[in-house]
Amino acid sequence: MAKTRELVGRRKAIRNIRKITRTMELIATARFKKALDRAQEAQAYTAKIAELARDLAASGASSSHPLLEDRPKPKKSLLLVVCSNRGLCGGYNASILREANGSLRKNREGGVETRLELSGKRAIAYFRFQRVPADESYTQFEDKPRFDQVEELADKYLKMFLSGEVDRVEVASMKFISPARQTASVQTLLPLGGIPRKDEAGAPGAKQVEYEFAPSAQAILDDLLPASFKQRLFKCFLDAAVSEQIARRVTMKAATENADGMIKSISRQYNRARQAQITKEIAEVIGGAAALE
Amino acid sequence: MAAKTLRCVVVTPECAVLDESADSIVMPLFDGESGVLPGREPLMGKLRSGELRLTGAKTRSLFVDGGFVQVVRDTVTILTPRALTPSQIDQAAAQKALDAPSAPGISTAAMEERQAAISKARAQLKVARSR
Repeated sequence: MAKTRELVGRRKAIRNIRKITRTMELIATARFKKALDRAQEAQAYTAKIAELARDLAASGASSSHPLLEDRPKPKKSLLLVVCSNRGLCGGYNASILREANGSLRKNREGGVETRLELSGKRAIAYFRFQRVPADESYTQFEDKPRFDQVEELADKYLKMFLSGEVDRVEVASMKFISPARQTASVQTLLPLGGIPRKDEAGAPGAKQVEYEFAPSAQAILDDLLPASFKQRLFKCFLDAAVSEQIARRVTMKAATENADGMIKSISRQYNRARQAQITKEIAEVIGGAAALE
Repeated sequence: MAAKTLRCVVVTPECAVLDESADSIVMPLFDGESGVLPGREPLMGKLRSGELRLTGAKTRSLFVDGGFVQVVRDTVTILTPRALTPSQIDQAAAQKALDAPSAPGISTAAMEERQAAISKARAQLKVARSR
């Protein structure tokens, strides 16, 4: 009797957990759709900025902006780790932290001082456990990062980079490639990877447009570069939000399926135990009756 | 032949705000307001914060916070960090920014910042009231 009771209790517990994981899966799916829509809307801006930069480069604006300059001997590097605020999303945070650690180690070996900035409670908790002090941490970036928030951060980085406080700005985050593929990577955002060269400008067949510039191509380019950096940083956060939801959905789906399997096997055990008990009781009754005769 | 109308696209990093056709567009270029009519030469320019006006079947007004403009083949593309429709503008906050007393003896940089904030607030109020 004790065994069947225990099995019923366990099955009930698993059923309840299954309900939770299933709901989380559905929520993650809905959030993923929303996040993906946002990321795709942002795509228009990114594409347009790239187009402007290309046209400017084609019209002879020189590329000698301080944001483009590669500093030959970086002394201090800034690493921003973008993780999630919440767990239960499988290997999402672990893979980002692995990349971040790799970058930290490389900096240490190369004698480069690293300023570590963390976004997301998971990253903060991890580095606290590792006893690696963080210079700054943020938890305000949820699954809907707003441009205003990111711009604040971007402005700070631009200032630090231009004043020479840091020589490099890197971001460790999940890169969204397609709904089925995301990879954790460390990207160097500053110095900017250069503007497209003249020979790359324009798809074949596209006519080169002769622009009138106000005030001048150079001045526009100088303003466009910070905007482009901001956009790239923003995209990191958007991608991270999308990838987090995907990771959570996949994990929760696996958990739900696992719970299904466990419920099945426990049900089977329970039925068998119940049947054994009934058989035993019948045997006892028959045995008792036989003893009376 | 040049088309009779202009297409105006406003995009921010977060979303595409507007995609409409208009007969003429007035935008806040870095050195003052500038109008665009159909058939304009290609232009690429810097914007300051101010009012973007579309005149056409219906007149629309938007607040844009700096950015860039590109005019090609009767398409005006505005790239701006923020674009607000009149109903999105926080009038009270803008008025407060405008009314805030300026501290005496502040540095030139702070002064410039304050000037920018004032002109931004003023433009926001103008857009909000033009509704």
